[in-house]
Amino acid sequence: MDEAVPTVHFLGLTFNIANDISILLTCLIVFLFVFLLSRHITLKPKGGQNVLEWLIEFTNGIVKGSIKGNDAGHFGLYAFTLFLFIFVANQLGLFLHVQVGQYTYVKSPTADPIVTLTLSFMTVAIAHAAGVQKKGMKGYLKEYTSPFLVFLPINIFEQFTDFLTLGLRLFGNIFAGEMLLSKVATLATGSGSWFSYVYSFPIEFLWQGFSVFIGSVQAFVFVTLTSVYISQKVSSEE
Amino acid sequence: MLSHLILGASSGLYLGDMLFIAISFIILMALIAVVAWNPITKMMGERADKIANDIDSAQKSRQEANDLADQRRDALSHSRTEASGIVADAKQSGEKQRATIVADAQNEATQYKQNARKDIEQERQDALKNVQSDVADISVEIASKIIKKQLDPEGQQALINSYIEGLGKHES
Repeated sequence: MDEAVPTVHFLGLTFNIANDISILLTCLIVFLFVFLLSRHITLKPKGGQNVLEWLIEFTNGIVKGSIKGNDAGHFGLYAFTLFLFIFVANQLGLFLHVQVGQYTYVKSPTADPIVTLTLSFMTVAIAHAAGVQKKGMKGYLKEYTSPFLVFLPINIFEQFTDFLTLGLRLFGNIFAGEMLLSKVATLATGSGSWFSYVYSFPIEFLWQGFSVFIGSVQAFVFVTLTSVYISQKVSSEE
Repeated sequence: MLSHLILGASSGLYLGDMLFIAISFIILMALIAVVAWNPITKMMGERADKIANDIDSAQKSRQEANDLADQRRDALSHSRTEASGIVADAKQSGEKQRATIVADAQNEATQYKQNARKDIEQERQDALKNVQSDVADISVEIASKIIKKQLDPEGQQALINSYIEGLGKHES
């Protein structure tokens, strides 16, 4: 975790190279995982196919838990990809931390609010688009005045809080985890004494284990909230 | 540390990152859809269909087996009654045949008996006839023999005399 971030300007846009490399790496890991497990798909599942099917059932279960009826089928792929992506992104920084010079090039991409807020923005955008598609523009807009017209500002405000809390929750958890990991690492290397390695090793070890747990839970929470937000937009309220 | 996030603090919001994430995520999603999601969900659907079909066909074949068993049972009982019917028929016809055979035999026997009786009667009549003629001859012969033997000389003389007398009478 460095103050400075390696940036590149291209077409008037600013790119954070560290984020982009981490994202690419995450995508690559997710893709390879899925690709290698889905090579021999048979009616009678075995080996890798079982793992993938279990994962698909898991994310489908999350989606079906909040989205009722036929709509759930449309968001299965999104939930599946989102879960795998966030899960791998959360764990990536725990065991891989590449630092060259003053810049950190590989870390958890979800430890950056830009990444998490983009993901939550995608979720919110999908939720709103699905809402418009399901109910039409009129029905979609009508939701904002339910149950009464008085609720209009609250409903509008809620859209922003949903978006912000979804992204910032993930960011906060992962960022804190990485932060503490690097602090413990500094504790080990900073004092210059070999003894500091001895007592900081179990702390780092424990915290890494806990971060793995938090990263998994956060991936689950993100997908769950995603399906909740989509269901809020899609489901017809009485 | 996160100063780059403050709007306007550095070179603006990292819109490039947002685009990068969004695009790479969408590409990842598309790749997963092609590589794993579509085939696996299709396969899962097929499996669900197959299991449903298997359950249905299992039920159907069980039903069929039950029907077949019922049919068998019916056929068995049917054939049992049929068999007993056949046996009864056979018995009856055997009985009838026996009766006719016995009746025929009796008829034939009485016929034979009558014929035999008639023959015997005939034979008896013939024999009686023969015997009558024989008896006549024999009795004549015996009579003549007896007569010849019992004539003593006086008698013979008398007889001869009578004959001669008779002859003379006749000649005269």
